[in-house]
Amino acid sequence: VIRRRQAITAWLFLTPAVLFFALLFFLPIGNQLLTGGYDSAGTSFVGFGNFTRAFGDPEILHSFLITLGYAAGTLIVGTAVGLGLAVILNQSLRGRTLFRSVLLIPYLTSVSIIGLLWRNILDPQVGILNRLLEAIDLPGQTWLSTHPLATIVGITVWSSAGYTMVLFLAGLQGIPGLYYEAARIDGAGPWRRFVSITLPLLAPTTLFVSIIGLISTLQQFALPYIVTGGGPGNATSLYAHRLFLVAFNDNDFGYASALSVLLLIVVLILSLAQLRIGDRTDA
Amino acid sequence: MPSFNRRSFLQLGLGVTVLGAVGCSPAKPAAQKQDSRTFTIYWNAGHSYDTYQQVFDQFGKDHDLQINWQKFQWPDLTTKLTADFRSGNVPDLVEEVSAGTGTQYGLAGHVLALDEFAAADKEFGFPGDYLDQAVVARQYEGKTYSIPLHLTANGLLFYNKAMIETPPATWDEFLEAAKGATKDKVFGCSLNSDPSYAAPYYNQQGVSFSDVAAKQFMQPADAALKTMQFLQDLVYTHKVSPAPVATTDYSGPQKLFSANRAAMFVSGPWDIGPIRQGSPDLDLGVAVPLTGAVQSAAMAGSGLMIPAKAKDPKLSWELITRLGAVQTELAATKEAGMSMPRKSWAADPAVAADPNLAVIAKSLAVVAKQDIALSASGKAAQIQELWKKAYQQMIIQHAPVGPTLDDFRKQAEAAL
Repeated sequence: VIRRRQAITAWLFLTPAVLFFALLFFLPIGNQLLTGGYDSAGTSFVGFGNFTRAFGDPEILHSFLITLGYAAGTLIVGTAVGLGLAVILNQSLRGRTLFRSVLLIPYLTSVSIIGLLWRNILDPQVGILNRLLEAIDLPGQTWLSTHPLATIVGITVWSSAGYTMVLFLAGLQGIPGLYYEAARIDGAGPWRRFVSITLPLLAPTTLFVSIIGLISTLQQFALPYIVTGGGPGNATSLYAHRLFLVAFNDNDFGYASALSVLLLIVVLILSLAQLRIGDRTDA
Repeated sequence: MPSFNRRSFLQLGLGVTVLGAVGCSPAKPAAQKQDSRTFTIYWNAGHSYDTYQQVFDQFGKDHDLQINWQKFQWPDLTTKLTADFRSGNVPDLVEEVSAGTGTQYGLAGHVLALDEFAAADKEFGFPGDYLDQAVVARQYEGKTYSIPLHLTANGLLFYNKAMIETPPATWDEFLEAAKGATKDKVFGCSLNSDPSYAAPYYNQQGVSFSDVAAKQFMQPADAALKTMQFLQDLVYTHKVSPAPVATTDYSGPQKLFSANRAAMFVSGPWDIGPIRQGSPDLDLGVAVPLTGAVQSAAMAGSGLMIPAKAKDPKLSWELITRLGAVQTELAATKEAGMSMPRKSWAADPAVAADPNLAVIAKSLAVVAKQDIALSASGKAAQIQELWKKAYQQMIIQHAPVGPTLDDFRKQAEAAL
């Protein structure tokens, strides 16, 4: 009887949370799935037609491929930069608290402001960067036209580096100093200590950073929308931007819903794969 | 300390659950929750003139309404409106991005045909007092889905008199003038990243963007090729224009011009105000559209639409009549240099005496006819997006013109 009461109590406490997720997450996902089965007018049921259509749509395939490129670039460079900053600011440097705070500012800034800021900085004709390059007799850049996707990667890394750094800092501070001391006594140099102690012990943090990073990069919409409008051509029309165009430009909410469900499936598969890899590494 | 038994736990749980369910239930559309005395207007941020603010203030005062004037960039306004139409939570009055948009929404049942309102309101003078091209472009099968607010021509040649003595009249003269003005840090001209700014050029070669009846785009093909090659050569062969930067902002050439970094650019009257305000010392010249095979410009200018589910369409119509009154038009022109669609506006002595407005009036006489069927097809936005991609590939990414145009035609025809 006591066990039963405890179970009921537990369920009662869980009910609000279950309802919250059911109403605000699972219900919209179910609705999305259902809408994905209808044509652009929302009147005829087309089954999985919208889902299969995506696999033969060159614009969708293009946007998916560049999104993978964007995610890979952002994750690799972002993780490296965040880790590097964390290692530097984990040392007993003067003013490190200030540096840590300053580096976190871009992460706390609205993506709209970041987008507009960088668009104005990088404008080849009236941007500040080219004015500076001009002042020191260096050729001007046209990255928004010549390397638009890499530029979006760079801006993302810049804005998220502070957050990644904080996560790695927390991980670094969880590593007992004893390990480093023992390694030092055994004659291990700084690089050896980093590779053999720091990196393996940061594996859970790295896994967390990569999963969170992957999910957010696959859903990236605002930055290319504000900085390049998905252009030039369709060079930065990432998957979420393409999905947005299908919904609000082509007015095809059925197809857009199917595309969003496909994105959810991809995110789930990649996240599960990362977790499995993480589990194996831990073992 | 209070003691909890099973019943009190159940009561607590039920209470929290109900609260959670109420709190998490989909919000009622804002318009339904809003006080019926709130009047919501969607407007383009670039057109938020003091003149209109005064009209809205007076309208609110006269009807004891709270005016909720929401301003957006065009793409954001379109997105918001699309979402609103789906949710049924609509504003009371909307500024229409360009002629034809209202038709597209109207045929889908999202905005009202306004002919009955106009017929019942003879004093307003629609369509009699309006220039034909602004009206015809908003009509389909005898119904008018928006009332013109502005009427402008994209194709005016803006030039800096300190750099260009005599404005060019033909494409050859334009190229020569651009070459002559291109110096160290100054470009002879500046192209826009927004593909709609290519319209005056292809119109000047007699190219039609679309012919829905024939399922054709950018025809005749050889003239379209000539146009786009000319534009691409301005950037990459003659190097008289910088490659534009892909953004959602169409003010790049104007900013370059205002900064004395470009001697000429092609645009519409909406850029007169920003240049005058931003660079009052710049000796601005505005000339009529260039002549290629023909002299031509592209029609531009916003309109006003009433959503089908607006709270009180009669009230919305009344505001349209105030915004479209000739006194309001003249005040907006005085404030921002914008040109207007009424014949009585064009006949006003203040307008006739203004040299820039005289140029605009001449340009309006050469605007190319629009294919109304494209808006009616419901595919205009999708096809414009395809054109944007093709245009930026040719002008910004230096893609070969012929194959890119062919690709665009195939995709546009398939979309149709």
